[in-house]
Amino acid sequence: MYHLLKGLHEYLTRKEEFSVIIIGLDGAGKTTLLEKIKTLYNDTPGLTPDKIGPTVGQNTGKITLPSAILQFWDLGGQRGIRNIWHRYYDDCHAVVYVIDAEDRERLGEGWEVFESVLSAPQILGVPLLLLANKQDSPLSLSVEEIRHDYEGWHQRKLESARRSARHGENEHDVIARRERIASLDVMGISALEGTGVRAAVDWLFIRVQNSRREADKA
Amino acid sequence: MGLSFSSLFNSLSSLVRWSKDQDVRILMLGLDSAGKTTILYRLQIGEVVSTIPTIGFNVETVQYKNIKFQVWDLGGQSSIRPYWRCYFPNTSAIIYVIDSSDTARLSTSRAELLTMLSEEELKGVPLLVFCNKQDIQGALKPEEISEQLGLAGGEKSRPWSVRGSCATSGDGLEEGLDWLVNAIQNK
Repeated sequence: MYHLLKGLHEYLTRKEEFSVIIIGLDGAGKTTLLEKIKTLYNDTPGLTPDKIGPTVGQNTGKITLPSAILQFWDLGGQRGIRNIWHRYYDDCHAVVYVIDAEDRERLGEGWEVFESVLSAPQILGVPLLLLANKQDSPLSLSVEEIRHDYEGWHQRKLESARRSARHGENEHDVIARRERIASLDVMGISALEGTGVRAAVDWLFIRVQNSRREADKA
Repeated sequence: MGLSFSSLFNSLSSLVRWSKDQDVRILMLGLDSAGKTTILYRLQIGEVVSTIPTIGFNVETVQYKNIKFQVWDLGGQSSIRPYWRCYFPNTSAIIYVIDSSDTARLSTSRAELLTMLSEEELKGVPLLVFCNKQDIQGALKPEEISEQLGLAGGEKSRPWSVRGSCATSGDGLEEGLDWLVNAIQNK
């Protein structure tokens, strides 16, 4: 009887674990975001923003939601350590790319890196969320402006590629890329104040479960 | 019903864990003359003491914020490194100290670190690497050392952080401990 109840209890409270990686340029606010998520969802609060410096290494965090566990990996974003990201691609269920919406000068660099993330074959089918951080600042670009800026950047890049007459990309790639961008979700957050963070976690929670179901069907 | 029982159980067990966590065991390791003992006493009494090479170990209780750390500083000479493993059980975190100016022995330091991390008993334990002696001219930066250590990708199961420090001035030590406390509590 005990084992029956225990088994039933385990079955009812069984939770799947999903890994989410948080990447983006240095100073975008990845660690601040992770610590904010911990503070919002866990009993022990995360680090406060004034204690956070550039990450060389990885920070982890785990949050338990009603029917799933999300395991976050926050990876350092400085130029020299970006090459470690791809080693995490194989095992992740979702990717969060954080962009600093306030830093207009580095948007181009951010898109350059974002482009390389988009085209990584291991994560083509993985839910990808673009977060426009620092919405608390009045100088920041809005979600619409960020999307617009990216599309503009992408268009310019395509044109310059066409002009240089190097047909490296075939038709299929271009279509796949276009679909990827069309399905891309952009959300605005303030990791500092916590606005939009819950919405972003909800998005992740729903999308990882849906993509798991689709994978099961296939 | 079952759910309410389980949540009650969870909150009870977290209470028990909380009281147990007040004493946290941390190992401080690294090659000889990396600055482990200097860091230990800098943390404990806030002063720079003159040290001699440690044969055996120093153990001190360091009170940081509201947590008591039991910090074990183990001697780093090659002859006594094999004994590190005797201290691995029940370890909550590892602080690994590297002499950033000693580029010649960085590969040795790396080998010792990787051997240690492959131990079953240290699985998932947070790792803080102090790239010490940042005040010396020509010392390698944390990013460069991180690159050479090659932890990235291979150490997915644990949080880890590579940070610069200067034991004699105390720079970087508190920031490192803040990170470590957070990593231990939020594991």
